[in-house]
Amino acid sequence: MKKFLTAIFAMAGTTCALAQETPTSPLEISGSVDTYFKYDFAKQPNNITTSFATDHNSVSLGMIDLVLKKTTGKASFVGELSFGPRGQEQSLLDASSNGSSFHIQNLYVNYDFTDQFSITAGYMGTFVGYEVISPVGNFNYSTSYLFTSGPFQNAGIKATYKFSDKVSLMAGLFNDWNVYTATRGVSSIGGQLMVSPVEGWTAYINVLSGAGGGGYGTIEDLTTSYQVTDKFKLGLNAANYDINNDGGGYAGVALYPQFAFTDAVSLGLRGEYFKTKNVAGFGATKYTAVTLTANIKSGGLTFIPEVRLDHNGDKPFFKENGLAAPNAGQFSLAAVYAF
Amino acid sequence: MIMSRQYLNWRLFFTLVIRIKINQMKYTLAIIFSIFIVKLPAQEKQFSKDEQGKFIYYQVVDSQVVSKAVLLERAKHFIHSSNKKLMKPERSTDTSVLANGKLIIDKTILVAGHPSGEVNYNFVFEAREGKYRFWLTDFEYIPYQRDRYGNFVATTNIGTPLEKRVDKLNAGTWKDIQASAYAKAVKFADSFKKFLATDKKVPEPVKKEVISTRKW
Repeated sequence: MKKFLTAIFAMAGTTCALAQETPTSPLEISGSVDTYFKYDFAKQPNNITTSFATDHNSVSLGMIDLVLKKTTGKASFVGELSFGPRGQEQSLLDASSNGSSFHIQNLYVNYDFTDQFSITAGYMGTFVGYEVISPVGNFNYSTSYLFTSGPFQNAGIKATYKFSDKVSLMAGLFNDWNVYTATRGVSSIGGQLMVSPVEGWTAYINVLSGAGGGGYGTIEDLTTSYQVTDKFKLGLNAANYDINNDGGGYAGVALYPQFAFTDAVSLGLRGEYFKTKNVAGFGATKYTAVTLTANIKSGGLTFIPEVRLDHNGDKPFFKENGLAAPNAGQFSLAAVYAF
Repeated sequence: MIMSRQYLNWRLFFTLVIRIKINQMKYTLAIIFSIFIVKLPAQEKQFSKDEQGKFIYYQVVDSQVVSKAVLLERAKHFIHSSNKKLMKPERSTDTSVLANGKLIIDKTILVAGHPSGEVNYNFVFEAREGKYRFWLTDFEYIPYQRDRYGNFVATTNIGTPLEKRVDKLNAGTWKDIQASAYAKAVKFADSFKKFLATDKKVPEPVKKEVISTRKW
């Protein structure tokens, strides 16, 4: 670890002199607000247990998300606060004794030593996975099993080197997942290789190893998207997580084809296969899920009607009468305003 | 008596109200009229179209003082000294300079805001003795979206031609983008013309006067 940090700072020191001055930007303010209605076909709240949109037959709140960013020369900071169920107890661990949740999504500082090399430290959205907490960053309103099972945020320090517009490499040291204060020390090492082989196609190969959900383990993740034409986009997320000492983990793949009919109306499908692994020889289970989502945009507002059908042969879902069921379905309508 | 006094009071009250209303209407009409007057020239500030129906920002500038060779040198210098992220040289000939540029479109919320997209364009500069011309064309808009780290980044690499007609749902936003791109093009053109009109010779360093407190 010491060698790694020494290497980072040595690299920073040598490249500092070559850096070019970049202009100071005004304070950037942005954010979003979201609300939703969800109806579970079996009238069961939390039938499908992926993140967010948890309430049944209720017009419910997502979150208000506020982002501040400021760049002064080569230094910049980002502070992102969220208030509401999606941005507090549903995405962050309770950090105080009375159960009230902190609500920081991003809080980090960044320094661009050169146009190619930068170092970032603080609490950041995770680099692993396709979907994100902010509803503005996702096409679908409900989330995948891969998203729910993976990390949401990583606190740590990372160095990024951009070889060209087509290749960059990130390496960093991180706390355990989703915590402001490390409970097991700076215990994870992570890296990301970004490649853009052809115009419109970007792929991220991610590895995160150390203390995480359920114990010490390693995630390998591929997140990629290809804007095939101006109307058609294809996304893919595949991940494998192994927890040490037969502690379980998960593996899965999700495909995201999206088609824009007009500037305002797009339709997208998410097809996912996901399995959890045995813990001490037991408990593995498999899900398949299909989600059909439309995005109807007018200015900053996006309406997101969505139908979702999930299947698991081990019957983890519930029928209307409370009996176990292999299938679950839901309809939701969300309104997301980005500013 | 009381009735008639009340009646008079009410009448006086209504007369006053009506007068105030008329005055208010005058002010309202005056405000609407002035907005209309201000709005008209504002609406005229749009890109012109070239013979292919593409948006173009085109200017011919009379430049009797600066020679053609100097104009070309200054144009090249302008492009090379610009922010690399906003302007890249493409090629140059004996009479012309070509480059690719980018205008950042901002979304303003009260006094602060954030970048909401970029408009990429092609820049052409041509010089002759006594005058030069330049134009910006092939405008293509790429929207930005906030990424997982809170930074605004391009959502796609495929741009939408700025002269494209969009559906009604997004017509207002699209009009704002066009207007913002035009304003940025005007600003760019002003800085370019100023650059070409200015001699970039390094001025003699001014000797700083040192004040001594020993002498009176």
